[in-house]
Amino acid sequence: MAQKPESSRGLLHMVGITKRYGDLVADDRVSFMVREGEIHALLGENGAGKSTLMKVLYGMVQPDEGEIWIDGTPVQIASPHDAVRNGIGMVHQRFMLVPNLTAVENVVLGMRQPRAPLLDLSDARDRLMELAADYHLEVEPDVPVWQLSVGMQQRLEILKALYRGARLLVLDEPTAVLAPSEVTHLFRVMRLLVAEGRGIIFISHKLSEVKEVSDRITVLRAGRVTGSIETPEATAAGLSEMMVGRQVSISRVSPPSVGSTAVLEIERVTCLGDRGTAALRELSLTVRSGEIVGVAGVDGNGQRELVELIAGLRPTADGQILIDGQQPRDVLQQTSMLGFIPEDRHREGLVEDMTVAENIVLKIHGRAPFTDRGLLRWGAINAHAEEQIGVYGIRCSGPSARASALSGGNQQKVVIARETQDGPRLLVAAQPTRGLDVGAVEAVLALLRQQRDRGAAILLISTELPELLAVSDRIVVLHGGEIIGEAPPSEDHLDLIGQMMMGHRPVTAVA
Amino acid sequence: MRVSVSSIGATVRAAAVPVFAILAALAVSGILILLAGVNPLDAYAAMVQGSVGSPSALAVTGVRMTPILLTGLAVAISFRAGLFNIGGEGQLYLGAAAASAIALIPMDVPSAVHIVLALGAGFVGGAAWVLVPAYLRAFRGVSEVVTTLMLNFVGIIVVSYLVDPSFGPMGERGASYAQSVPIQQSARLPVLAERTSLHAGLLLGIGLALLLYVLIRFTPFGFRLRMLGANPVAARFAGVKSTREMMMVMLLSGGIAGLAGAVEVMGLRHRLFDHFSPGYGYDGIAVALLAAASPIGVIAAAGFFGALRAGSSLMQQVTRLEVSIVLIIQALAILFVIAGFFRSRILRIGKRTPVQASGGTHD
Repeated sequence: MAQKPESSRGLLHMVGITKRYGDLVADDRVSFMVREGEIHALLGENGAGKSTLMKVLYGMVQPDEGEIWIDGTPVQIASPHDAVRNGIGMVHQRFMLVPNLTAVENVVLGMRQPRAPLLDLSDARDRLMELAADYHLEVEPDVPVWQLSVGMQQRLEILKALYRGARLLVLDEPTAVLAPSEVTHLFRVMRLLVAEGRGIIFISHKLSEVKEVSDRITVLRAGRVTGSIETPEATAAGLSEMMVGRQVSISRVSPPSVGSTAVLEIERVTCLGDRGTAALRELSLTVRSGEIVGVAGVDGNGQRELVELIAGLRPTADGQILIDGQQPRDVLQQTSMLGFIPEDRHREGLVEDMTVAENIVLKIHGRAPFTDRGLLRWGAINAHAEEQIGVYGIRCSGPSARASALSGGNQQKVVIARETQDGPRLLVAAQPTRGLDVGAVEAVLALLRQQRDRGAAILLISTELPELLAVSDRIVVLHGGEIIGEAPPSEDHLDLIGQMMMGHRPVTAVA
Repeated sequence: MRVSVSSIGATVRAAAVPVFAILAALAVSGILILLAGVNPLDAYAAMVQGSVGSPSALAVTGVRMTPILLTGLAVAISFRAGLFNIGGEGQLYLGAAAASAIALIPMDVPSAVHIVLALGAGFVGGAAWVLVPAYLRAFRGVSEVVTTLMLNFVGIIVVSYLVDPSFGPMGERGASYAQSVPIQQSARLPVLAERTSLHAGLLLGIGLALLLYVLIRFTPFGFRLRMLGANPVAARFAGVKSTREMMMVMLLSGGIAGLAGAVEVMGLRHRLFDHFSPGYGYDGIAVALLAAASPIGVIAAAGFFGALRAGSSLMQQVTRLEVSIVLIIQALAILFVIAGFFRSRILRIGKRTPVQASGGTHD
């Protein structure tokens, strides 16, 4: 197993990496190679072992077995410091930047200073700007990082790695936070970087992007490599099957349905974002009973504000919102009126330190039979939770399992169970499939369809076009706080929707 | 899919950290005692003898634990809601003052009524002292840590003024120490055992701990309080009116700290003294930490601290060790507890990784 890998152009070889957590094998004898000048995509569902493998590479986790070779020599990577020394740079999905420091300060942070103990940033600044110019990675060097756009912060992360002499860059789902045009730019930069002999590991679960930018693809499933292929030979269907192990399709099951009575009526609503600027501008939207209206758009175009407005958590500056004729504030507590699946289930959707049962009755704990004569009745609460666990197919050890012990998909089912158990007239789902693997996405979408078929009005906000196409009955596009167009949910209108997501208003009305 | 441990297992695990911390603190302190030239086993034996070795020793332990049991409960209840009322000291002084004001008045009522009135005043006094920090926290987002802490000093000074022998409205004129006159007989808490000073305040504290346990575990208010403590954002999304809950928890917490002061005056000292508390309010923080904010755990933790203090005098007589070794043991126990919970938290995060690997929590 541990013989010297043969290819001389190999920049990185990971050989037979195994990492166990208790009974669970996160990575099972994973071998993986990145050549010089190559963009190598690492594809797999959540939990397939990508993250663990990269943590091993970056010295954050020690493997139980296996070796890492760089430039044909075995290396020990005991810490991120070792990784950096070996020319490995990592751009984490959540940026590792200090918000109050400037770009230059972030770059030199933790590095030996030439004139220690004095801090001299002028050389560093020059070198940073040089790098930025060379690779078209524009950043503003002297502004606190929190003021930079997400795209710019990402460029800064890449610069930080380059500044430290990275020859192998790991980009962990870099496109998740970018607008389509920024994605194109990032891909150009990636090409430029590998042209000089660097290697890039590109982690993603979006097949289209992987096919577009990578040279080779390695697919992981359940901790094992299911295949390594040259990108031109890959097909979407083939990759998908390698990832999931079975044919999964997130596609329509029935033609779009037409809603009946209007449940959610938003009329010319304007509201302010957290920074005090208008986040929504005169937005109007109606969602009817028995239809799913999908809201497409790049993150940060007013989705969060829209959702919070409807949930009565954010005041309107102008205009009005009615839910079945009532103010949002008045229905927030009425679980038979409004169900709300928040965007961030860890922070907003669940109390992870509480049990599944407690999370299911989070909003209705004060009602009979859960509270009787002023006291909580745990018997009734647990019995109810048991029932919901069955109805919604939540996989857990029982009502008293901690919510934090559940997988993402099952956590989301807990949230959906809580929000739909009373059959609300309106269901607002904000990015309900974010971070879920394909199997769980299927399950969540099926639950949304069920609710629609029951007669609920559903507003589905998502950045994932395939799932919007799969379940929406109409799609509207949110850009810059406005709904700039509407399209039927079909592949034929994909281009149009993409255009609108970037802010191009449709020239002609679509039938 | 991970199987969560049973709640019994969880309870055992929760108790394991404090117990281990105490043992570790005793072990480390043992080295210090050894360095001082005393056999630690002798010292600890004297301490056990002096705290639980005889009925009268037990009574002393009970007396010592009573105020910190109450201040510990005050801090614990705020911890559970994610709030840090560390102003127990000031609230205790104000509670003592308010209770004394009632207890000093001669009343032609049954003793029980006088006691209840005075205790009620103590609760209100403590709650009133936390009113402003509670308001600022709930409605203006001002950190309660800073405001409650600062009001401690003010509270102590207020009592100094009240009992000043020359101009204090409650002060005993011409007394050599700043103190009030003795409170009415009818307002004194009954003594539980002959020829000891063990008073009914201990029962009040234990009863209150049980009550708080029920409140946290079995009432909708307690449910919301735990939500707020575990995830305030999710609580808001679930429609909890966090301002109201925060006000209520803070006032409850301040009231309980006020009771600690009331009980100390009515059960033990029978006068309002200047600077009568050696830091019971702060000890309450330590007790609540050691108990991981569990009301039942607070009884045990306060009992342990009370025993340490009660046993320290005999230990000093037998071994000539400084009583301050007790403070070292206390401090070490807290440090180990914090380290222990920190470690268990890390362990938990470590254990979560496979869940991420298998099912896909994602962040």
